[in-house]
Amino acid sequence: MSDALEQLLIYKNLGTVLFDEQLHIVEADKRAQELFVSIGQRLHKGQLLDFFPELIGSEEYLKQIVRQKENDFRLDFVNRAIDDERAAFFNLLVLPAQQKNHGLLVLENVTDQALAVQESNQQRYELILYKRDPEFRKQFLSESILGKSEAIERIRETIQKLSKFPSATVLLMGETGSGKNLAARVLHYSSMSADAPIVEINCAALPEHLIESELFGYEKGAFTHAVTSKRGLLEEARGGTLFLDEIGEMPLNMQAKLLHALETKQFRRLGSTKPIETDLRIIAATNRHLQNEVEAKRFREDLYYRLNVVSITMPPLRELGTDIMIISEYLLKLFNVEFKKNVKGFTDEARQLILSYAWPGNVRELSNCLERAMIFADHERLDAAELVISGTQAQQGKPSAQQWVVPPGGIVLEEVERQLIMSALEQSGNNKSKAARLLGLTRDTLRYRLDKYQLS
Amino acid sequence: MASVKKKICLIGSFAVGKTSLIQRYVYDRFDEKYLSTIGVKISQKALPPITDSNDGQMIQHTFLIWDIAGLEKFDSVVANYFRGAAGALIVADLTRQETIEHLNPLYDRFTSASPDAAVIVLGNKLDIFKEDKQTQAALKARAADFNSELVLTSAKTGEGVEQAFLKLSQKIGCRSE
Repeated sequence: MSDALEQLLIYKNLGTVLFDEQLHIVEADKRAQELFVSIGQRLHKGQLLDFFPELIGSEEYLKQIVRQKENDFRLDFVNRAIDDERAAFFNLLVLPAQQKNHGLLVLENVTDQALAVQESNQQRYELILYKRDPEFRKQFLSESILGKSEAIERIRETIQKLSKFPSATVLLMGETGSGKNLAARVLHYSSMSADAPIVEINCAALPEHLIESELFGYEKGAFTHAVTSKRGLLEEARGGTLFLDEIGEMPLNMQAKLLHALETKQFRRLGSTKPIETDLRIIAATNRHLQNEVEAKRFREDLYYRLNVVSITMPPLRELGTDIMIISEYLLKLFNVEFKKNVKGFTDEARQLILSYAWPGNVRELSNCLERAMIFADHERLDAAELVISGTQAQQGKPSAQQWVVPPGGIVLEEVERQLIMSALEQSGNNKSKAARLLGLTRDTLRYRLDKYQLS
Repeated sequence: MASVKKKICLIGSFAVGKTSLIQRYVYDRFDEKYLSTIGVKISQKALPPITDSNDGQMIQHTFLIWDIAGLEKFDSVVANYFRGAAGALIVADLTRQETIEHLNPLYDRFTSASPDAAVIVLGNKLDIFKEDKQTQAALKARAADFNSELVLTSAKTGEGVEQAFLKLSQKIGCRSE
């Protein structure tokens, strides 16, 4: 090998393997051996094909190269999996060697390049599939609700089932920030074609007279400032979904009009006598306990039953156990991209803090907390000190006893205790000492209760 | 016992389920998540030994199964992916018509690199296929054009997967009929 070529190989960190006409390895240089070590294998003298099974089937062609009757043989992005999680990619190039009747295999580690191509292809293909393939769309959207807990699995299953009934009305309940909006979108996009509209109205954000004109639309001259006619959201959502967010805030008078439109599947624009047919799905969401609102006469009972055909209750973050970390890690990735940072994860203390805090603002609060931490982050891992939770520390985030309220239907106290113990065990990764600390118990007391509830 | 390794290629458009078919056949598992393949990855599967009809010797065939990324362009490197193959499973997605249309150029390219190789056409994702005669007829026509057979498969449920590889091994001569 010439000095210049040798220099080039060193400069480009390319490994070389010299082999003879019988495809037997004569010599493998240090760089080639190191590349093999990096994938947990050893490269030594022996049959070339034993180390490079990618060349099987091309033996005759390789021999032609050795005899200088062919120029080269190239394989790009050969995937050598290290394990299920990690892969290394090599480019292989076989050339005639300077020595007569020998070939030279040049080996290049292109893992970074391959992973970049993979990421770009993945995004491109997912976009194409998302547009064209309804099954892929359902699966893709279902995965956007993060988590592996039983509660999240149940929600995915319910949405999957509901996606087959695109006209079924759905009521989404849950605390603020618990993902009702996301669930509404997942439900819409898994049920409808990709171009069906989803139209959202926040019932808390608009005064009564505006909600009506927004929902039903109006004809020119219907009121003082109606200089042109306007389609309402019920018309805009035709063939798709109307998402009524914060339905519990809708004024009573407006509730009656909405109920009428839902029951008759018809409505009229303001200032018009002409009925317009509705053809849409209604998804309503609220963080209020609507049944309580009905009892307090703030929400119409008939509308409640009309909306509550199928209801989904989004669990609060504090009930999701270790799913909080899945969501946190996802958010970390997003903020890494947004802020051009490379934070790789959380310290143990930060994890503990995230898992132990009650997150009354749910994912919205978690997202804000992590966004703030990421702005200032300058370490490889986010630390507990960087997580400012509502301007205080996690201890203050523990729910106070006053926050626990017995629901009108009552509870079974022992079942609540059992669930809390299970949740503590899940959060602590089954570490009984940690679980006991989370519950404010001694290890012995916890052990007693584990026996009592047959959880040990 | 003699040991023989045979190169088998899985080819088809992106996201037709080539990797999932291999995962099902070699490891009997299935992952719902779609992860696009880059370049090529080889998996091995040993077939049951057979007796050579000429000399009575036992032969252990092993399939070296090449999972090749859904190709959008053909160059000399692609020919190297296909070179020396004993057989190929050419895969279409039953739910995406365009993947059936891509079979012809893939077949032409494959057979120009490995003219003697056996070919089986697969219609994958049978589990979500809402049977329509047009798609099945189009696939059957392709299989006939390629002087091949059609097998409908579901990598998700495993339906037809073993059968597809079995048919291919019979065509190659790695298994008795």
